[in-house]
Amino acid sequence: MMNNAINSLDKVDLLIVGSGAAASIIAAKAAQAGKQVLMLEAGPERSNKDLVSSQLWARRLKWGGSPVEEEGNLKIGHGFNAGWGTGGSSMHHYGVWPRLHANDFKIKSLYGKGKDWPIDYEDLRPFYDRVQSEVGISGDEKLEKWRPEGAAYPMPGLPVFKQGELIARGFTALGRDTAPIPLAVNSQPYKGRNPCNYDGWCDAGCPTGALANAQTVYLPQAKVAKANIIHRATVTRILTNQKGDKVVGVEYCDEAGQSHKQMADVVVLAAFAVENPRLLLASATQAQPQGLANSSGLVGKYLMTHPAGNIYGLFKEATQPYYGATGGQLINQDNYDDKAARKGAFGGYQWLIANALKPNGLLGIANTRPDIYGPKLDAFMKQAAKHMATMVFVGDDLPLAENRVELSPNKDKYGVPLAKVIHNVQAETDLMCQHAVEEGKAVFKAAGAEQVWSGPRVGMHILGGTIMGTSRDNSVTNRYGQCHDIPNLFIAGTGLFPSSGAVNPTFSLHALGLQAVEYLLSEWAGIV
Amino acid sequence: MNTTRRKFLKSSSLVLSFAVGGKTFLLSPAEAYAQSVPLAVLNESDATTLEVLAEAIVPGARVAGIRNFIDSQLSADSENSLLMIRYLGVPAPFAGFYTAALRSAEKLAKTRHQKHIAALNSEELSQIIDDMAQGKVKDWQGPPAEFFFFVLRSDAADIVYGTLDGFERLDIPYMPHIKPEQSW
Ligand SMILES: Cc1cc2nc3c(=O)[nH]c(=O)nc-3n(C[C@H](O)[C@H](O)[C@H](O)COP(=O)(O)OP(=O)(O)OC[C@H]3O[C@@H](n4cnc5c(N)ncnc54)[C@H](O)[C@@H]3O)c2cc1C
Ligand code: SF4
Repeated sequence: MMNNAINSLDKVDLLIVGSGAAASIIAAKAAQAGKQVLMLEAGPERSNKDLVSSQLWARRLKWGGSPVEEEGNLKIGHGFNAGWGTGGSSMHHYGVWPRLHANDFKIKSLYGKGKDWPIDYEDLRPFYDRVQSEVGISGDEKLEKWRPEGAAYPMPGLPVFKQGELIARGFTALGRDTAPIPLAVNSQPYKGRNPCNYDGWCDAGCPTGALANAQTVYLPQAKVAKANIIHRATVTRILTNQKGDKVVGVEYCDEAGQSHKQMADVVVLAAFAVENPRLLLASATQAQPQGLANSSGLVGKYLMTHPAGNIYGLFKEATQPYYGATGGQLINQDNYDDKAARKGAFGGYQWLIANALKPNGLLGIANTRPDIYGPKLDAFMKQAAKHMATMVFVGDDLPLAENRVELSPNKDKYGVPLAKVIHNVQAETDLMCQHAVEEGKAVFKAAGAEQVWSGPRVGMHILGGTIMGTSRDNSVTNRYGQCHDIPNLFIAGTGLFPSSGAVNPTFSLHALGLQAVEYLLSEWAGIV
Repeated sequence: MNTTRRKFLKSSSLVLSFAVGGKTFLLSPAEAYAQSVPLAVLNESDATTLEVLAEAIVPGARVAGIRNFIDSQLSADSENSLLMIRYLGVPAPFAGFYTAALRSAEKLAKTRHQKHIAALNSEELSQIIDDMAQGKVKDWQGPPAEFFFFVLRSDAADIVYGTLDGFERLDIPYMPHIKPEQSW
């Protein structure tokens, strides 16, 4: 239970809520620039030693905070998609780091759908290039013919194993190409970090440093520059001045239930796409009764998740599906750019090809055929463990205001209303997904698979909810994640995306984070 | 710890803390089952139903220690739980999720065959499991039967296939960075 006595702590320059992907890059850069940085992290302290190679132990990396209520025909799967503890969800992320394409930034202008970004690809390109060099990405920009312009990858692509070769055969037979998947995973030693062992344990967290996540790249830099993290510190409220146009700090609750006020000149919300709007809505004051930074009425709205689904096949040949990285070996984006190409459908998609497979877990071999059980299961497992192959499509989600985070009447143990998330996909998204599944099955058949089937549609990644735009009429923040209503309150992470694109978002959120922190530092005097 | 014991833990699949007579021991669920470690949350009847269903769905689940595995995880707080249910959108605590469905399955056996689920022949049991998997059950309380089937099947697959022993059974390499032998 929360202890009502509030302990007020000394003011810091920059307070960041969360210690995940977005928090880590902002913390590192600000601390290196001499700012006193404090991250408040709701989850436990974790080090690489805790990343036990097991799909069972991996579950401890998943969200352990207040429950999120979900509704809709494509739930966002918050419990699966969100992480907690040092490094947040970046600790169980697979390091698939493609760039958004130019048309992703302009879907309103190009297709009359959803929202445009207040920036375009060329604005973000230099930040992608710099993050890529700092973090290290393996890939082959020449073979990846769909990739927008940018600096060459600093490392060659990761090797392709049997599973990838077999699926590539299907793409080739249909006159299509594949390229090494761009991965923030080292194909060779990079900046003091180890190369990958291709053992497929990425979901449990990579303790060797081969996979770039908050703990391998930016949190250590932040620490060296004297940034601090307080763990088990759950932020429960953002505090403003009376007028409600300036943030003064946050309230948080520690492990013992003691409540604290932590004051700061600038606050960055980097608590992921559901917790950020929840905190803004739950911090309503008399001056801002709709919630903080919400004069647009858009806080919580335009929540998105990438619709995704796997294709599976059994091959006569051995596929060695236990080798490689979990994110995959190859990529194809032939159906990415023309989002209106398919009749009645809207959205592009990509294929992430030949993901390393483990026998158990939600994405494991056993669960690909939940209809098999009893004595037949063992035979299936023995065959599939050596002869199975898979790939997954990741598609555009149409940004819709009615897909949203709102406050539930139910409260958590701190007395903060729970987040209630409503997310539905429309018929045009559904058709795009159906097209992808049919195409995927055709590829597997062309590759020579003896049995082919598809998995359920799922929500991959969480985006939107605190979108950026050009003004308070159309967005919560400006292009830097700075709230229109409260200039010393910033938001970081995928929640800023006004449209989803159909690529994995973590590279983009780093590029946005770098752009934001440089703006924040250069404009500091006028902001605080 | 003596060498044999260390060797056992090294080669074992999944080692958890089990409380026996006020003391805590590190055991694999299979070992806990073999030693009849007392249950903390489930009663004997629920545990029997659990292992009868799990064994029929994923052969090998019984001796892999499904009853002790689920029981130990139900006594952990949800943050430390190793059960897949923790990220499937079901609010913690999870004991009620399991016990409600297990009692519904037991009731179904009694209604249809006037026997405990553990006394059904394999054909009778298979029919009940088929119907659970397809949600074709009447008077079922608790989580939807097909969802419970999915979760229990995953739990059983976790301990039968998701361990060092399980990988060996499938003849595939485990290749761990950090072996799952330590207790967190
Ligand atoms: C299985 C899986 C695989 C993935 N693979 C990829 C991939 O290959 N490529 C890719 O681009 N993306 C991938 N992702 C997505 C990626 O993990 C996220 O996009 C990214 O981590 C989001 O970064 P973030 O900083 O916004 O949030 P997070 O990294 O989740 O950090 C948010 C942090 O805030 C903390 N927090 C929340 N609420 C509070 C509060 N009230 N007080 C204090 N702290 C709080 C949380 O505990 C958490 O640590 C994957 C995700 C999953 C689940
Ligand atoms: S496959 Fe590579 S990136 Fe993944 S956990 Fe193993 S070493 Fe790390």
